[in-house]
Formats: sequence, structure tokens, C-alpha cells
Amino acid sequence: MKHVSKSELQTKEIAAKFARKLAGGEFIELVGDLGAGKTVFVRGMVEALGSTARVKSPTFTIMNEYPVQGEHVTKIAHLDLYRFDDESQLSALELEDYINDKTVICVEWPDIFGKSPFEPTHRVTIEHVDVDTREIIVNEL
Amino acid sequence: MRILGIESSCDETALALVVGKGDQLKVENSTVLSQIQTHQQYGGVVPEVAAREHLAAIFPMLEREIPFDGKGIDAVAVTSGPGLAPALRIGVEVAKTLAWSWGVPLVGVCHLEGHIYASWLPRAKRLFLFLPQKTPIFPALSLIVSGGHTELVLMHDHGRFERIGETMDDAAGEAFDKVAKMLGLPYPGGPHIARLAVGGDTKAFDFPRGLLDRDNFEFSFSGLKTSVLYTLRKNEDKLENVEFRQNIAASFQEAAVDVLTQKSMKAIEKYKPKSFILAGGVAANIELRKRIKKEGTRRATKVFVPPFTYSVDNAAMIAVAGYFRAQNDKNFVEPEDLAADSNMDIV
Repeated sequence: MKHVSKSELQTKEIAAKFARKLAGGEFIELVGDLGAGKTVFVRGMVEALGSTARVKSPTFTIMNEYPVQGEHVTKIAHLDLYRFDDESQLSALELEDYINDKTVICVEWPDIFGKSPFEPTHRVTIEHVDVDTREIIVNEL
Repeated sequence: MRILGIESSCDETALALVVGKGDQLKVENSTVLSQIQTHQQYGGVVPEVAAREHLAAIFPMLEREIPFDGKGIDAVAVTSGPGLAPALRIGVEVAKTLAWSWGVPLVGVCHLEGHIYASWLPRAKRLFLFLPQKTPIFPALSLIVSGGHTELVLMHDHGRFERIGETMDDAAGEAFDKVAKMLGLPYPGGPHIARLAVGGDTKAFDFPRGLLDRDNFEFSFSGLKTSVLYTLRKNEDKLENVEFRQNIAASFQEAAVDVLTQKSMKAIEKYKPKSFILAGGVAANIELRKRIKKEGTRRATKVFVPPFTYSVDNAAMIAVAGYFRAQNDKNFVEPEDLAADSNMDIV
């Protein structure tokens, strides 16, 4: 599915619509350049699921957890692999502990090692068109 | 009151013993164990790894630094948020156990509140020891800048905080980190950028000052980071050129410091605080310290910048925040009721 966003607000709305359809247990890859709006997309998802948590980029902290009040989803784990440089480092995240029916995992920079090591359920690609415009492609895999 | 402070919200395991009487405080012990070398290979802090390291460090540290039976300790204060959930849990569970077994009150402390209270800690180097230590006067405005936070908080009184602005995207420290990575510098990037910026031209590149024209106290560093990226891409042939790299670092730092300083000054003009507190790890940035001190003093506000040891994460600041919270019984929590809250807000 292809969307065009003209602002951060629209990106969040697209993310919100997407989040409301989640059944829990999804693994979502977020692909896009620095500043494309990947974190904004996650913020839209977290807000749509009834959380007031203030979503910030997890580059420094690698992974943030947000408790949410969705019908099927109670937690969003937000990861950013931007600073990783080797696939073997992934085991440190203990991601297996986070995979369950009520948690949705969102990963920024999944292909930082060249190719994604995950088996995602969705891939969201955000492309820079111009300063404010983004093309957002949501693929169910 | 002698209070034990425990901090484990990110990549520093820390314990401290602080004695307070009225407004006078004394740090009897402040121990910090940094995990930075462990996390360097990942280029950031991995929550589960941090938790494991905290767990390995905290008991030997307690054994070495704190009387086993808790003799002489009147209360326990612990960072209960915000931070990395698995990391926070270690400190919180240890604090609960100690408070319960020693039978002393327990106080949960907000990490950001701790950073602000670092300015109440006595300084090791003082010119006139016979004069009482100067502490911030209320209302105090604080800029908290670190790898995880960029916010302006107005403190009306002890325990009364109001957040007036924060970053909409990246924390300032994170922008330093990301630009450092683009330039191939190691983590954590702040000090490396600052070093590279020395001798560079701050006006070589006109990087965007996010949200500066807006009449609020929100920050944005995402656009700045993207602009640096595009400039580097356009100049791929110069990436190894020392002067070019210095200019990028200097212009980037200038833009970041500019935004932080100008937003802070706007807030000073609006809220007219009696003191201004610069807090958090990025407070170690010399340019930022200089600018905030100069501009703040010009606006007749007394500027407090904690010494480096208390700018970065430590437990003495948590103990002090806990000490002031402990003046009101209502802030005590039953050990079984305290839970780590990774998204805690300052209130």
C-alpha cells in the first residue's frame, strides 16, 4: 500500500491507521534515510494505541519499550540498529524475550548489515520526496 | 538523615551515601561504575546487556561501600525512571529489598529530577570553605541535556516541577552521537565532536537551527542531523580532509549550542527564574557551558553548572533528590508498591 505524506502529522495519521489494524505479535521493519520519519511513524503507532508515552528515537538507547493500551497489543518495542555494525551483536538484545502475541516489534535500520537478518511480517519504507513530502509504502510480507 | 542513593537507569551502576541536615548536604560516598567499554562495541547502550552488567556489579559494590546491616542509614532512594526498563529494574529491586530488610523508608526518584538536584551537591573545590555553599534559589529553570534527554524544566519549589519544553525527536546528545558516527568517530560522540571542532570554522556551513523561530520551548535536532548528512554526501571527496571535518564539527556544534542557548534564554525571559541550572551529560560540553553562563548571567540569572562528576549519571544526585522528597512522608512508598517506569515523566 502506497501513501503520500505532506507533513509529520500526516505520517502519524498513516501510522495510526496501520497500528489499529495490528493483531499483536507483528514484527515491523522500518526503512528510510536519516530524517525520513521512521521515529515519527512509531510515535503515530504508539499514540494511536492509547499511550501518552513520549516516543523518542532509540539510537542512543538501542531499544525503547512503550506500554500501550491497544485491544490486541499491550507493548511496542522500538529498536534502532543504526549504530550496530555486526549481525552477531543482535543476540545481546535478547529479542526472543520480547516476541509474544501482545507485543509489536518495530526495527529501524534492519538492513544495516547489508541484508535484514529478520523474518518480518511488515516492511514500511519511507522515501524522501522533498523537504516535507514522503512516500510511505507499507508492505505485508 | 543519611540516605542511600541507587542509580541504574542506563549504563552506569552507581551508589552513594549522602547526609543531609536542613539545606546542608555532605556526600560521604559516591561510587560509579561505567559500562561504557562494554557498550562501545554496539555503538550505543543495549538494554539487556546493561541489566546484566548492573546485576553483576551492584552486589559487590554494595558489599564494599555500604554497611551490610544498613546501620546508620535512614532511607533508600532509587531511580525508578525514566530509562531503560531492564536496567532500571535491577536498581529498583535491589532498593526494595534493602529498604524492606533494613526496615527503612523507600523513595522512588525521577532520574531527571536527580540531574537537576546535582546542583545542590557540595563542590569538592571551594575557594572559601567557611562560607555556606550557594544553592539554586526558586523558581529555578533547568535545561537537561544528555544522550537521552533534552528538556526545559521549571522548578517552583522542592518536588514541584513543570516541564515547559522538550525535544520532538532526537536528544541533543544523540545528534552529537549520530554526527560522530557519520564522521567515523567513536561512541560516545560528544567529546570527539567537541575536540574536532576546536580550530574549525563555526560559520563554514549554515546548518539549520530547529524550531528556533517558533514561540515555544520545543527542540528538534532531526533536521540538523539530516542537513549534516546531506552536506557530507555532497562532499564525499573531502571526507578525509582535516579542515573540512573540523569545519563540519564546528558548524554542527555551533548550531546545536545555538539552539540550546537561545531557547533557554527565551525561557529565562518569559519565566524570569532566580537561577538557571544546566544539567545532564551534555553539560560537559565546554562551548555550551560558556555560552549558557555568559548569556544567563547577562540576564541577571545565577547560572549553576554541576562539576563533571555530577553532570554524568551518578547516585549522589539521586540521594539528594531522595533526601528532599523524604522531607514529606507522603513520598515514601511501600517496597512492594514500587515499580520501574521506563517512560516516567518529571512532576
